[in-house]
Amino acid sequence: MHHRSGLSTLGQMFVATALALPLVVHADEAELARRLEKLSNELEAVKAELAKMKNERAQGAVPGAPQQATKPAEAPYTNTEAAPGGSDTVLTSYGEINYNRPRKAAENTVADLRRAVIGLQHRFDPQTKFAFELESEHAVTSSSDPGEVAVEQAFVEHRLAPSFAVRGGLFLIPAGLLNESHEPTAYYGVERNFVETAIIPTTWREGGFQVVGELGSGLTLQGGVTTGFNLNKWDATSTEGRESPLGSIHQELALASARDLSVFAAANYRGVPGLLAGSSVFTGGATQGSQGVAKSRVTLWDLHARWTPGAWDFAALYARGTISNTAAFNTTLVGNPTLVPAAFDGSYVQAAYRLRFGSYGAAPFARLEYFNTGRKYDDIGAGLTPAPQPTERVITTGLNFDINQHVVVKADMQWFREVSANNRFNLGLGWSF
Amino acid sequence: MAGWQPGKWRKRSTKRGFARASMTNAGAGVLILLLAACGGSPSYEQPAAAPAMSPAAQVGERIFSDTSLSGSRGQACSICHDPANAHAPGNALAAQLGGPNRNLQGVRQAPGIRYLRFNTAFFFDSEGTPTGGFFWDGRASSLQVQAAEPFLNPFEMAMPSKAAVVQRLSQATYTTEFRSVFGSNIFADVDLAYDRMTFALAQYQKEDAEFAEFSSKYDAFLRGQATLAAQELRGLALFNDPNKGNCAACHPSAKGADGSLPLFTDFTYDNLGVPRNPDLQANADPTYFDLGLCARPDGSLSTRTDLCGAFKVPSLRNVGLRHTFFHNGQFKTLKDALTFYVQRDTNPEKFYPTVGGVVQKFNDLPPQYHPNVNRTEAPYNRNPGDVPALTDAEIDDLVVFLNTLSDGFVP
Repeated sequence: MHHRSGLSTLGQMFVATALALPLVVHADEAELARRLEKLSNELEAVKAELAKMKNERAQGAVPGAPQQATKPAEAPYTNTEAAPGGSDTVLTSYGEINYNRPRKAAENTVADLRRAVIGLQHRFDPQTKFAFELESEHAVTSSSDPGEVAVEQAFVEHRLAPSFAVRGGLFLIPAGLLNESHEPTAYYGVERNFVETAIIPTTWREGGFQVVGELGSGLTLQGGVTTGFNLNKWDATSTEGRESPLGSIHQELALASARDLSVFAAANYRGVPGLLAGSSVFTGGATQGSQGVAKSRVTLWDLHARWTPGAWDFAALYARGTISNTAAFNTTLVGNPTLVPAAFDGSYVQAAYRLRFGSYGAAPFARLEYFNTGRKYDDIGAGLTPAPQPTERVITTGLNFDINQHVVVKADMQWFREVSANNRFNLGLGWSF
Repeated sequence: MAGWQPGKWRKRSTKRGFARASMTNAGAGVLILLLAACGGSPSYEQPAAAPAMSPAAQVGERIFSDTSLSGSRGQACSICHDPANAHAPGNALAAQLGGPNRNLQGVRQAPGIRYLRFNTAFFFDSEGTPTGGFFWDGRASSLQVQAAEPFLNPFEMAMPSKAAVVQRLSQATYTTEFRSVFGSNIFADVDLAYDRMTFALAQYQKEDAEFAEFSSKYDAFLRGQATLAAQELRGLALFNDPNKGNCAACHPSAKGADGSLPLFTDFTYDNLGVPRNPDLQANADPTYFDLGLCARPDGSLSTRTDLCGAFKVPSLRNVGLRHTFFHNGQFKTLKDALTFYVQRDTNPEKFYPTVGGVVQKFNDLPPQYHPNVNRTEAPYNRNPGDVPALTDAEIDDLVVFLNTLSDGFVP
């Protein structure tokens, strides 16, 4: 089957990319971001310590004396004043405005404020911070408008040691390359790639707890227990489940059914400058104890790599999801347009070349994707079992133009093999700060 | 408000919804599969063990089967809505007989009244889809409002006035219980007593588990307690398939996200162009047409001529127990009703009279309302000579599946 051979080729390219790591010179953006965060933490700790010493000196306290002797009402880790010259609370934002014009159906052209996000981070003390993101999609939200408002992140992180932290709340699952770094300045192309939207349901978040450990070798490990998917939400009458199987049954901590919890683990290696190589897995029950429904498990795993030798920026990813024991569930829905797939997967390779023009930057890029949201269905009998979906192949090529590190203008073309009517031209404006 | 046009707001149902229900008078039959004008998709949360009924509901149960409250002293709610036949007529009359001597024929078939507790008052949804309401034209806003009409309808229980009903009620065998619930002086105020009587009837239908048993084989199947035979499963697939029966478009069949069981109606309305039924005496007058939604007695939708010919989508639960189908009782078997659905447009001569060599399609509607008939979706999206959406064998499969929707399945 040519679909499978396409993926096989992609897999080989992925392996080649992943193995060709060692020669990197430049740290990539993810690496820089990680280091900045670490430095920021350390700086905050120093500032807080300084403030504390000044305060104690002003009150004549004896250095080293128990804190409660001078400030009995204070919690042990609470800052008593803002860090000199800075704030404990930082506002952030990102967003994008996109224009999609199908080549053969211009009447379906759409311009959309795809999303505008306001975020804040508040540092309670050197070890503890709160992160929050509020997203508005499609500009206007009301009962008669298409918009949607959602809390994308709301978690507290407490650092137990310089390289070890715990998080609790609503957080992004560390899967793939985009889910945790989904700002428009962080990816090539006007739209997020299909694999990391149709297979990995970016922006994918769950409620729960996780631990984050940064090993000295450049290895970051994450793992946790969270809420998961709810198969009972599956709507066989709509096409939503075919567009993104997991995107149609995610819960986003909105009165989430939490009878079945999920676990996840992720490893990302940044030990070689310019390289990021990682993998993740997420698995959990998805029937949430529903009566009369055969227990089903959702599992999603991925392999990903990004390599930035010089001005080049290469990336590759493979993700595969499975939903177990779907036969009995699907039998109640036979004949409907969208039954639950047993397996779905996708992969892509991407190459970009980053040019600089003074303070401006430009990066032509190309991406080849294969994805299939219904690769396999459990057998429920002749005439009733859906045929596997065809694997879609998408080629995207275009340009990211950086006004600066916070603002990007994008343009690209996309070609679809299976549904060529979707071929389109895209323009986008994105920001992130 | 968006104009109601056949197909304009038609949409596949989603899994979430709501519902309520109605009792009915001499109304009409039962639509079946369906398409068109369908809105949301109701489903019902499976009840726990049925609690004991309230005193008001217990009185309502007595009223429900009390024939003394009719002009003929021979008719009660339970006569047309027979508990032994899933609260639907147990005969194949085009419309039930009533009146002082029980010899007057109504103009619409009496529907089954189970699962109507989940219906709502009538409203137009955000897409302009007419939804909810009780009776075939949705004119009553609640079970209680609905219950007030049959007593005074001259073709039904035919009592001359509320006072006459209350006077009979005050002499009923359960009058002590009625006073106990609603006050010892309740009969001193006719309007109040009449209101309490309809309240009791509504409570009975809301509280008695019989009106919402969810005890069919299909329910057991959805609960994982039974399996469907191969033919039943084929029928279900045809029922759901948007290109075949497309029945689920208006008669949702899937469990809700919360585990709620489907009601097999979205409580919307559709215009099917059902043939005129000569067995209805009212149809002897060639100028008489039952226009349904736009012809409510209060005239509330008289300007919405686009709604003329539309009738409420009934639940298909217990449809296998019915003896007549559609609002005018035109068809007598499920197979005939389903065949009409799929061959109405491919072989109209089978269902409508031919005059002067011309098939009189949609002959139960004045010509100006023919465009209101749903002709856009499967199985209607066909023309004469086309292959019907379902074969004869597939119709048989569908009938077998629909028979799994009858309450009272014993594994």
